[in-house]
Amino acid sequence: MISTRFVLKRLLLLVPVLVGVASLVFSILHLSPGDPALTIAGERASEEFVRQVEESLGLNDPIWVQYGRFLADAAQFQFGESFIIQRNTTVREVLANKLPVTLELALYGQLIGISLGIPLGILSAVKQDSITDHLTRIGALAGISVPIFWSGPLLILLFAQVLGLLPTSGRISVLYNVEAIRVTGLVTIDTLIAGELDMFVSAVRHMILPASVIGVYSMALISRMMRSSMLEVIRQDYMRTARAKGQGSKITVLKHGFRNAMIPVITVIGIQFGGLLGGAVLTETVFAIGGIGTLLVEAIKVGDYPIVQGTVLTFAFLFTLVNLGVDITYSILDPRIEQ
Amino acid sequence: MTGTPKHSADDKPPLSDDSPPLAVQATVRLRIVGSAVLVGVLVATVALAGTSLAGAYAASVDTVFALGSLVFGFGLLGWSGAVALGRGIESMQNHLDTGTGWTEPDARRAMVRILGFGLGVMLGTMGFGTFVGSLA
Repeated sequence: MISTRFVLKRLLLLVPVLVGVASLVFSILHLSPGDPALTIAGERASEEFVRQVEESLGLNDPIWVQYGRFLADAAQFQFGESFIIQRNTTVREVLANKLPVTLELALYGQLIGISLGIPLGILSAVKQDSITDHLTRIGALAGISVPIFWSGPLLILLFAQVLGLLPTSGRISVLYNVEAIRVTGLVTIDTLIAGELDMFVSAVRHMILPASVIGVYSMALISRMMRSSMLEVIRQDYMRTARAKGQGSKITVLKHGFRNAMIPVITVIGIQFGGLLGGAVLTETVFAIGGIGTLLVEAIKVGDYPIVQGTVLTFAFLFTLVNLGVDITYSILDPRIEQ
Repeated sequence: MTGTPKHSADDKPPLSDDSPPLAVQATVRLRIVGSAVLVGVLVATVALAGTSLAGAYAASVDTVFALGSLVFGFGLLGWSGAVALGRGIESMQNHLDTGTGWTEPDARRAMVRILGFGLGVMLGTMGFGTFVGSLA
């Protein structure tokens, strides 16, 4: 059983982490070149108009006032309106539209990574130095080494252009209006909730290639970690004792070894998830999926401060939440960790 | 970096009978943060005074404050990381027999100094800016 004190302590640690990230984002944006007021007003705008824009955005206040206001707003998850990318739209609305796209991609990518990586890692460990182990190692090394911007177009070329099995880009066929059935923002879930099977199949077909590209990278790391962790566990005395008592090899590995070997793997999965959120930028670009990653890059390019601040803090919040989940999972797998 | 780690009063557990009273621990912590804040205030004041004399005051206030908040944010993240993961890293190093003398209390203390310095720079800039503003 997880103690409330442990969870509360971890939740409290979220506060300094988020304040730290907010300070870093604020300072980096203010140290980087470019004037948002000038960008909004346009290069040919009069000085007076630029000053008016500065005043309306609070950019002419002393920097410590801007910092304090930013922290207070961030605590309420209010980042104001987008300056440039989607004018007159609050950052909250922009994020609510874009975040599910990236989350869906990361979730399916992680699902593929876990469902392939863990069994392959166990198999490699149990059949150490066999042909299966070597093949898995080669696969994992290839998965880690091949960059997404190369594997993505190659998969598109093979599965979309040559074989014609899967679509090249987007989240769903243009024939369907997914906004009409929007509930969670996750297309595959929304289509299921609406009971639209055709739309669901289309969404899944669109998701296969981008999720696989992300998932293969994740799978590679998870399988390597699972292998080394399981190898260490297999050599423990309690595993030998279980086998000596006549327990089958499969049951020994799955019942006694798996749970103990999972602890370091959970860490990798947690860190990976954060990486998947950030690393989705390339996948979103290659497969023309308008998610939060491409939004962030665009916002940095044009100096849309509120979008950058909101997006980075959302990433940080999600990352710390995932790590909280990792900590809680640790304490379930091994209650001694709580001590 | 293989020296024996020094443990002072602000080390966390174990709270045994011979651990110093809370007041002493608080004083030690305050001294660590306070000295770092003071150094930060001093650095910010000197930097701003210098740039004011050079005639680039307005831009330098923003830059110095932003640099202070950068250092503060870094220190805060480092401190949180040390609190959240420090014990685990220590145990891992011991387990793998790769100890380098790095300890969680040392990391916390270092990070508190860094965040204190950043906070000092921010406070120094605020003070100097307000002072100059009142003169104008």
